[in-house]
Amino acid sequence: MASRLIARMTHALILLFVVSVVGFALLRLMPGDFAEILLMAQMDGTLPDASQVQQFAASNGLDDPLPQQYARWLFALLQGDLGKSFITDEPIINDIALRLGQSLILAVLSLVTALAIAVPLGVLCARYPGSKIDRIAGMISVIGMSIPNFWYALLLALLFSLVLGWLPTGGHGTWAHAVLPTLVIATSVAGVLSRYVRGSLLEELSKPYIRTAKAKGASRLRTVLRHAIPNIAPGLLTFSGMQFARIFDGMIIVETLFAWPGIGRFLVESLLNRDYPAIQACFLLVAASYILVNLAVDIAIALYDPRTREIV
Amino acid sequence: MQKMSFTRGKLLGSSHHWRGYATFMIAVILAVLILPLFAPHDPHTVQFLYRLKPPSFDYPLGTDAMGRCVLSRLLYGARLTTASAMAVVVCASLIGSLIGAIAGMVGGVLDRAMMRFCEGMSVFPALAICMIIAGTLGLGLKAVIIALMCVHWTDYARVVRNAVIVERSKPYVMAAVALGARRHRIAVRHILPNIIGPLLTLSAYSMSWAILAFAGLSFLGLGVEPGTPEWGLMIAESRNYLRDYPRLVLAPGLTIAAFVVAVNLLGDMLGDRFRVRQINYLH
Repeated sequence: MASRLIARMTHALILLFVVSVVGFALLRLMPGDFAEILLMAQMDGTLPDASQVQQFAASNGLDDPLPQQYARWLFALLQGDLGKSFITDEPIINDIALRLGQSLILAVLSLVTALAIAVPLGVLCARYPGSKIDRIAGMISVIGMSIPNFWYALLLALLFSLVLGWLPTGGHGTWAHAVLPTLVIATSVAGVLSRYVRGSLLEELSKPYIRTAKAKGASRLRTVLRHAIPNIAPGLLTFSGMQFARIFDGMIIVETLFAWPGIGRFLVESLLNRDYPAIQACFLLVAASYILVNLAVDIAIALYDPRTREIV
Repeated sequence: MQKMSFTRGKLLGSSHHWRGYATFMIAVILAVLILPLFAPHDPHTVQFLYRLKPPSFDYPLGTDAMGRCVLSRLLYGARLTTASAMAVVVCASLIGSLIGAIAGMVGGVLDRAMMRFCEGMSVFPALAICMIIAGTLGLGLKAVIIALMCVHWTDYARVVRNAVIVERSKPYVMAAVALGARRHRIAVRHILPNIIGPLLTLSAYSMSWAILAFAGLSFLGLGVEPGTPEWGLMIAESRNYLRDYPRLVLAPGLTIAAFVVAVNLLGDMLGDRFRVRQINYLH
C-alpha cells in the first residue's frame, strides 16, 4: 500500500509541476510585452516609453532567460508570494485567503446536499427500474443537463426571493444566504450522481453474492444497504471527486449571481479587470486543488477498501 | 466505384443515416441564414420611448430595457450562437480527430501520454479554463471561440482514439494491410468512413455543450461585446428587471433550453442509428 501511495504522490507532484509551468507561461503568453504591462499597472495605466520599460525589465530580472525567471517565480510561490494585484496593489494571497473559506463552505455544502439527494434517488431508481419514479428521474436529469445553470439559478431566485420572499437574493453571512447557491450547484451535481448510483447499483444487484444474500433470507433493504452499497461506495467516492469540475464551474456562476465572496467570483472579477496576477493565482489554486482532491480520494479509497491495498 | 459505394454504404450510404445528417445541416443553415429574415425589427435599434413594452402585434415578445425588439434579438442570437458553436465544433473535431487518430494508429508511449492528458482535461473545470484562456487572449468573440476549442478538442481525441483502436483490430484493416496499404491510407480510406458514426454523434453533443458554454461566458460578461444580440448576454442584461419583467429573462432562457434539448435529441437519434453507446452528454 505504501508504494502505491508513493506512486500516487509522485504522480501528483509531477502534475503540480506541469501546472506551475502552465501557470507561469500564462502571464508570458498574453498579448503584449510582459514588462510593459507590469510597469503600466504600476504607473496607473499610463503608457511607459521604451527606455523605461528596458530599465524596469533589467532591474526586475525580466531580461533573464525564462527558466531562470521561472525558478525565481516558483521559489517565491512556494513561500506564499503570489504577486500583487494590478488593481488594489495588495498581495493576492490575502484576497485568496479571504475567499477560499467561503468557497470551501459552498463546495462542501453542495456536495453533501447532492449526495443526500442522489443516493436515495439512485437507490430507488435501481430498486424499481422502469417504474414511474425511475422514468421521471431520468427525464429530469436529461432536461437538467440541457438547461443553462445561470438561468435556472435566476428562476430559483425569482421564485424563492422575489415572489415568495423566503430567501435573500444575494450576499453572505447567514445560513439563509447559502440556501440558493447550494441548491443550484447541488441539483446540477445530483442529476449526474443519481444516474451513476442507479447504474452501478443495478450492476451490483445482479451479482451472485446478492442472490446468495437473498437466499439466506436477507430483506430487500438489507441486501441494498448492507451488501450492495458498501461495494459501490469506492466507485461513488471516485466519481464524486470527479465532480470537482462541475462544482467549481457551478460556483463561478452562482457566486457571481448571488454575490457570494468566493474564488469563482474573484476569478470573474479579475478577468473583467484584466488583473493578470490574480488570474494566474486563481488558475494555480483551481489546478492545485483539483490535483489534491483527486489524491485525497485515492488515499481515502485505499484506506476504505482493503482490496486496493493489496494491489501494488 | 461500385465497390467503394458498397463499403461506405454500410454506415453512411443508407437513407436513415443521411436523413439524420441532413436534418442537422438543414437546421444549422436555417438558423444561420433564414431565422434572422423573420425578425420584425433591427435587433440593434435602441428606442427609449418604447422601453419595456409588453408583447404586442408589432413587437411579438415585447421590448427590452433599451426598447429593442426581443424577438428580433432572439432570432439574430440564433445566428450568432449557431455559427459560433459550429465553428467550435468543426475546429475542435478536426484537431481532436487528427490527434486522436495519430494516437490510436501509432500507439505506445505517445498514445498513453496523449490519453493521460485528455483524461485530465475532461475532469478539469472547463468553464474556468475557457474563461482564463479567453481572458488571457483579450476577450471578444474570437477569443471565446478559440478558448472553447482549446478545451473541447480532447473529447474528440478520446472518442476517435478509442474508435480507431476498436476498428484497427477488425479483419478489413488486416486485409488492407495485407494488400500493402500504407498507414495514412488505412486511416483515411478505411478507418475514417467506419468511425464517422461516433464522430457525428459526438459532434451533436458537443454542439449543445458549445451553445451552453458560449451562453454562460457571455452571461458572465466574458463573451461577446455588450449590446450584441446573444442569448446569454440578453439574460445578463435583463437580470435587474427580473422581478417586474420576468419575461425578459424567461424568453432567452427558454430559447437556449429548447435549442439544446433539440440538439441533444439529435445526438440521441444519431447514437441510436449508429449504435453508439459509450458517448454521452458532455455537460
